[in-house]
Amino acid sequence: MANGATVIGRETRIRARVTGGQDFEIHGHLEGELTVGGEVNVGETATIAADVRGRRIVVRGAIKGDLSADEAIVLEEGARVVGDVRAPRVAIAQGALVRGYVETGNAGEAPRKAASTAARVLPTPIHRPAPAAAKPAPKAAAKAPAPPPPPSKPAAKGKPGARMSLAGGKAPPPVVPSLKKGTKAALTKKR
Amino acid sequence: MASTVIGANLTIEGEVIADEDVVVQGTIRGKLTAKDSVVVESGAVIEADVTGAAMSVAGQVTGNITSSDRVELQPGARVVGNVKASRITIADGAHFKGNVDMDV
Repeated sequence: MANGATVIGRETRIRARVTGGQDFEIHGHLEGELTVGGEVNVGETATIAADVRGRRIVVRGAIKGDLSADEAIVLEEGARVVGDVRAPRVAIAQGALVRGYVETGNAGEAPRKAASTAARVLPTPIHRPAPAAAKPAPKAAAKAPAPPPPPSKPAAKGKPGARMSLAGGKAPPPVVPSLKKGTKAALTKKR
Repeated sequence: MASTVIGANLTIEGEVIADEDVVVQGTIRGKLTAKDSVVVESGAVIEADVTGAAMSVAGQVTGNITSSDRVELQPGARVVGNVKASRITIADGAHFKGNVDMDV
C-alpha cells in the first residue's frame, strides 16, 4: 500500500520517537520526537511536546517544540506553538499563537534524521540530484507535485527560484534543476 | 468513534497508549496498550507487549499479548510471545510460539 497515512486519534497518547511514514495526522497527544517524510497535520485537540519535522506542517493544535519543514509551515487559527518555526515558507493565520524564533528560507535547516523512505519520497530542495543520474528520478517525477518550492501550484517548468519572493534578507539559492534537454521526453517515454 | 491508524511506513519507538481502536500497519517497538480493539495488519511489525480488548493479528508480533476479550491469529500472523486471553483463535497458516493462558 503506497499510502502510509497515519492518523493518531484523540484518545491516543504516544510517548516515543516517531519516524518515517508519509502523511501524519494527529489529534491526540505526542511526546518525544516526530520526523515524517510527508505532511504533518496537527489537529485542534492535539498536544505535542516534541520537535516536529516534515515536508509540510499544518498546525491547529498545541505544540511545544521546534517545527522544521522542507516546504512550508502553516499555523492556522487555534494553533499554539512554543518553539522555533523554520521552513522556506511560513504562514501564520490570524488567531494563531507563536512564541519562538520564526525563520523563513532554507538557511539553517538542520539535517533530517528521517528514515530512508523520506529520501525516496523527495530529494531535499537544496540538494536536488540531476534526475537523469538518480534512480529516484522516475519516482520523483511521478511524485512531482512538489518540485522545490510551492507545493500547491505545480508549474514545475518555470524557474522556481523566481517564484520565491522573499522580502529582503537572504534569498535562498535559486533551485533550478539541471535538466538536460529531452529529459522530460525520455522520462515520459520510459513510463 | 475514531480510531488510530499507524501507517505502513511509520516506526514508533516508545509507548502508545490508546483509549480507542488501534490499527497497526507499521512498526512499533516498545509498548502498545489499547482500551479497545487492536488490529495488527499483515506487514506490521510489533516488537512490544500488546494489551487490548479484542485483537486480530495478521502481522508480526514479538511480545506478550494480553487481551480482555479474544485474540485471533490470522493466517500469515507470526507471533512469538505469550498470549493471555479468555478466547483465542489460531487460524491455519498462523505461526505461533509461546504460551497460551486462557485462565483470565
